Amino acid sequence: MQIYLPIAEIPVNVIVILLLGLLTGFLAGMFGIGGGFIATPLLMFIGIPPAIAVSTSANQIIASSVSGLLANLRRGAVDIKMGLFLIIGGFIGSSLGVSLFQLLQKTGQIDIVISLVYVIFLGSISIMMLIDGIKTITAKKYNIVWAVKENSNMDGFLKWAEDLPWQVHFPKSGITISVLVPITLSIGIGVLVALMGIGGGFIMIPAMIYILRMPSAVVVGTSLFQIIFIACNTTFLQAVTNNTVDIVLAFLMIISSSIGAQIGNRSGTKVDADSLRSFLALLLFAVCFKMFFSLFTSPESLYLIEVLKK
Amino acid sequence: MIKLFTASLLSIFILLSPSISVASSIISGISTNEINIDTKFNGAEILLFGAKDDFGNIVIAVRGPKKNFLVTRKEKLFGIWHNGKRVKMKESYSYYSFFSTARDTGTSEQLMSELELGKNNIDFNSSADVNPEDKNEFQIQLVDHFEKEKLYLNNSHGVDFLDETLFKVMLKFPKNIARGLYSVEIYLINDNNLSSFQTIPIYVNQVGLSARVLDFAYQQSFLYGLLSIALALVVGWLANYLFFRFIGK
Repeated sequence: MQIYLPIAEIPVNVIVILLLGLLTGFLAGMFGIGGGFIATPLLMFIGIPPAIAVSTSANQIIASSVSGLLANLRRGAVDIKMGLFLIIGGFIGSSLGVSLFQLLQKTGQIDIVISLVYVIFLGSISIMMLIDGIKTITAKKYNIVWAVKENSNMDGFLKWAEDLPWQVHFPKSGITISVLVPITLSIGIGVLVALMGIGGGFIMIPAMIYILRMPSAVVVGTSLFQIIFIACNTTFLQAVTNNTVDIVLAFLMIISSSIGAQIGNRSGTKVDADSLRSFLALLLFAVCFKMFFSLFTSPESLYLIEVLKK
Repeated sequence: MIKLFTASLLSIFILLSPSISVASSIISGISTNEINIDTKFNGAEILLFGAKDDFGNIVIAVRGPKKNFLVTRKEKLFGIWHNGKRVKMKESYSYYSFFSTARDTGTSEQLMSELELGKNNIDFNSSADVNPEDKNEFQIQLVDHFEKEKLYLNNSHGVDFLDETLFKVMLKFPKNIARGLYSVEIYLINDNNLSSFQTIPIYVNQVGLSARVLDFAYQQSFLYGLLSIALALVVGWLANYLFFRFIGK
């Protein structure tokens, strides 16, 4: 069953798009990530122009995040206060990132730098999470006692963060931390998001767990909460400045991803937090692995062709 | 049929080629002048038919609206692939299909080149600072890309003769064609002389819901952006409500 997309200007298979939405929605509901890092390349793969794939994914992410957020809100698993600070930083960071992107684009070799930073960043996070997850799971299941490093770098950082001004208590997460930490963190992630053109939920989640030390139960909901705002901002700016949001494509994905988010959310609650974290680590590692290899393997086509707007 | 002749273009070509004999030695028409892209669009075919009453080869070229293209070469640096040299190809045909009954184009090569007939004769314009070798390399890649996308078709056997004078050709337009004005050009070439020429326009437009969405997105992009967001918010909320209502926590 084919439908012609008015903005992308090509026909697509409706079933394929619905399944794609279902998958990204499921990931959003289960792990609290937007799913743009899977949806965008898959949309490009079926022939949607890159600019339209990026913007339309942002539009679809709003729906799956709202659907997933509401499910989490019902269980009270959202730290709205923390989310608001993350949104402030996210807006500053993504604006900075957009300017930085334009600057780097003029100077030339930007792609390679971004890809390398990304692979290193994502690779180290996912391996860290994976090791952590395996340790906790095996410790529980087989009563293995893992040696704990006395002074990890993270502890040093947390000690240092305790002395920062503007300490605020976040009752939902049960943590007290200087607001400078979540704001700086989300500025950094915002910059990366703007540079990479994708959601950033999958960087935000590990950051919430390891740097902010938020409990796993509220991480998914809080991540979805802040993603909604960032995705709304992106969708609107793209629609107004570049006309790259295809509402027909978005609508198809919105329907299935909202449903996917509900299914993902329910599946997420059935799995314990440690396994969930390990699953996410595996997913991130797979993405990183694919990116790493695509840097070194010969591309399918040695030339890239784009239509320029007049 | 006569109104399909664009008199002005014809006169230009008469001036171009002094050896033109009779203007009406070839006459043809197409099954439709319009390709309407609606939500069910998945490519189109148009039948071109005609008759010739003179010697010579029939050469047909269909040209799509011109667009600017950016071709980027991927390069390897310390084993890592990245985007390297870029060349902008200005005002290139977004669609080009070519048919000819000539077995050997050698005799009329000069004329074919002047009229940009055949994929090897299409003119490409890059910026002035691009050296000819690079231009040639990137041009070949662009044509290659178009051929893979079925946007450039070079078909020397596509002209079917029903008898000595009557012929038909099936013009194929893939699903990813650009909107705009296309021109079908039919030439009768005898040796190196253009003995007849005709051009027929084809309009490719979006229609119906598809067209309305397109207009809305471009003309009222502010509202369009807000609507896109509202749609996502409402459907996301609705999905949650329905799941909660009928499936439970």
